[in-house]
Amino acid sequence: MTRIGRQWRQTLTIARRDFTATVFTPIFLLFLFAPLIMASFGSIGALGAANVADGGRGQQVTAAIVVADEATALHGVVERWRRLRPDPAPAPFDLVAPHGDPARQARALLARHHVDTIAVLHGPLASPTIVYAAGHRDAAFQLAAYAREAELRRRAGMPQLAPPLFERIAAPPPPAARRGASAFAAVFGIFFLTLFLSGQMVGTMAEERNNKVIEVLAAAVPLESVFLGKLLGMFGVAVLFVGFWGAVVSQIGAVLPADMGAGLTALSPAVGTPAFVLLFAGYFTTAFLLLGSLFLGVGAQASTMREIQLLSLPITVMQVAMFALASAAASRPGSWVATVAEIFPLSSPFAMAGHAASRAELWPHAAALAWQLLWVVIFIATGARLFRRGVLQSGSALPPWRRLFGRAG
Amino acid sequence: MSDPAVAAQGLVKRYGARRVVDGIDLVVPAGAIYGVLGPNGAGKTTTLRMLLGIIEPDAGQRTLLGAAHPRDAGDRVGYLPEERGLYPAMTAREAIAFMGALRGLDWRTGRARAVTMLEAAGLSHAADQKIRKLSKGMAQIVQLLGAIVHEPDLLVLDEPFSGLDPVNQERLEGLILAERDRGATVLFSTHVMAHAQRLCDRLAIIAGGRRRFEGTVDEARGLLPQQVFYLPTRPDAGVAAVLPGDAHADGDGWRFTLPPDGIETVLTRVLAAGYGIAALSIERPGLHEAFVRIVGEAAANAQEQAA
Repeated sequence: MTRIGRQWRQTLTIARRDFTATVFTPIFLLFLFAPLIMASFGSIGALGAANVADGGRGQQVTAAIVVADEATALHGVVERWRRLRPDPAPAPFDLVAPHGDPARQARALLARHHVDTIAVLHGPLASPTIVYAAGHRDAAFQLAAYAREAELRRRAGMPQLAPPLFERIAAPPPPAARRGASAFAAVFGIFFLTLFLSGQMVGTMAEERNNKVIEVLAAAVPLESVFLGKLLGMFGVAVLFVGFWGAVVSQIGAVLPADMGAGLTALSPAVGTPAFVLLFAGYFTTAFLLLGSLFLGVGAQASTMREIQLLSLPITVMQVAMFALASAAASRPGSWVATVAEIFPLSSPFAMAGHAASRAELWPHAAALAWQLLWVVIFIATGARLFRRGVLQSGSALPPWRRLFGRAG
Repeated sequence: MSDPAVAAQGLVKRYGARRVVDGIDLVVPAGAIYGVLGPNGAGKTTTLRMLLGIIEPDAGQRTLLGAAHPRDAGDRVGYLPEERGLYPAMTAREAIAFMGALRGLDWRTGRARAVTMLEAAGLSHAADQKIRKLSKGMAQIVQLLGAIVHEPDLLVLDEPFSGLDPVNQERLEGLILAERDRGATVLFSTHVMAHAQRLCDRLAIIAGGRRRFEGTVDEARGLLPQQVFYLPTRPDAGVAAVLPGDAHADGDGWRFTLPPDGIETVLTRVLAAGYGIAALSIERPGLHEAFVRIVGEAAANAQEQAA
């Protein structure tokens, strides 16, 4: 067997071990269903927040102290506003008959303890006075609008108008907007997946170091193969994760609300959907391999779990920075920012996925994928070299490219 | 004569300014059991790691099973490191098969052999147990089986007996001899002389990063003169007058170095003086004594050089 063949076999042996050691554990189920847990907690949180918001809004009322005929006109206006704009509903509105000093009566309403009155209108509709609680200026303006419309209608003797009809039609957005949306969706999709999946690579060498298996591996397998094997093993885990949730989402897609489904069909990448899907998969692969190999190399230098945990923050920050750079590129295709993002290795997969959405040429993608894979090789070789020097305490006289491809002497 | 299994010339390894291995030469004949002996910190592990290609030497050359780089002979080598390491979540059978797979053995064959080997080692009950459930000694035997499951031509063991109880030490000695009988070359490091004396066909003693001796066990023991134990028929300190100058009391008897011209002259003097001979034995020094002397001389030389 040739040296390359032997190294590839060893790489796959390591990958298989890492894949099975990760997947065939109860903890993996927790990992696999983490998005479900996250979505559940998100839903609970959103529900709670909505309840709080609704509850707060439900307790807040506005009021008007007006005579009977003005009250009738005002009531009609308020009802029409409610029909025209049901969501979010305006604050409940009380009509109160005047008695005594209206100004004092208004202040008394604002001071009620059992009801949270936020604004009160009093006086004739032609020249009303509105008293409102601090922070509720919008409610005061709303009352003013009600009063003005009611008075205008009363003076003009206008009849009640029929409520308008609303009709939704599926009108696609303009092509440029659809491409922009596709670009951002691609950038965000890859970022979202790699944020979850590639960060795990940082701690994978810790197992070998803690169990002292690394000595057995290093004696049998070139470190480059160990690194690549671990990377491929965890990539297998990532593919399983994405495959599982892809299948779930594809089934859920059938029951999505019509507006959301329309949002997905509105994506229109410049390279065409089939090529875009393939390129998305390719760039997800290179993004995972690039970030994973970098994190693996950095994490392999850490000797304790504490150090590994400390690394998680800068790693997340770096991923978010790459996302920001690629997002800027997606919003300005062809700009110098886009060029920088497409060339810089760590942002290149994100930016090029966006590029696929906005530009139709395919050849840049072949070059980009090759460029990104070259950097994967560089990261792995560098990580292995640093590990050999720092952890195994071996000062190798051979450069990494000779170790990978050449015949050592 | 067949090519040596291992050949190293002028191996040097520095950690900072310190030369941990300082120009070591080794030639391990194929099919032999070869011991690398030395005190703690002598450079044994570093030497073995360089021979295996785990770390690169700063200077020197080595060949492993005829290959210019150890990696090229990797599938024909088995290795048990000083710091034992196994994946705790693996079963014993999977761990052995995994180590075989790293060296080119297919998984199915590895698993089948693992079962057979565990049975032969009296550990058949542990085949499907996770490593974390095994005792340290059992895990160590499992790791050794993993090092030989692919039937290597060269087996390298770094301090293989450390941490084992006497029963497992004997079991390990049996495994090493069985590997040699199969035709493999066994290279192991130790600082326990008893194992080396029983097992080694040849050995090297290293101290301070340098090779101080290379040869057979007998040649090592031959570095020291034989010792005589003499017990007179009547205890009397005056017998010292007729014994060689280095004689010293040992209980009721006396010990001294066997004179170059033999024991006869001394015996003639003793008998003439009327002390009689209650017991007399001529003893060859063990490997332990030879080791202590060689290492002691090395330390003394190092001190002289430092001074």
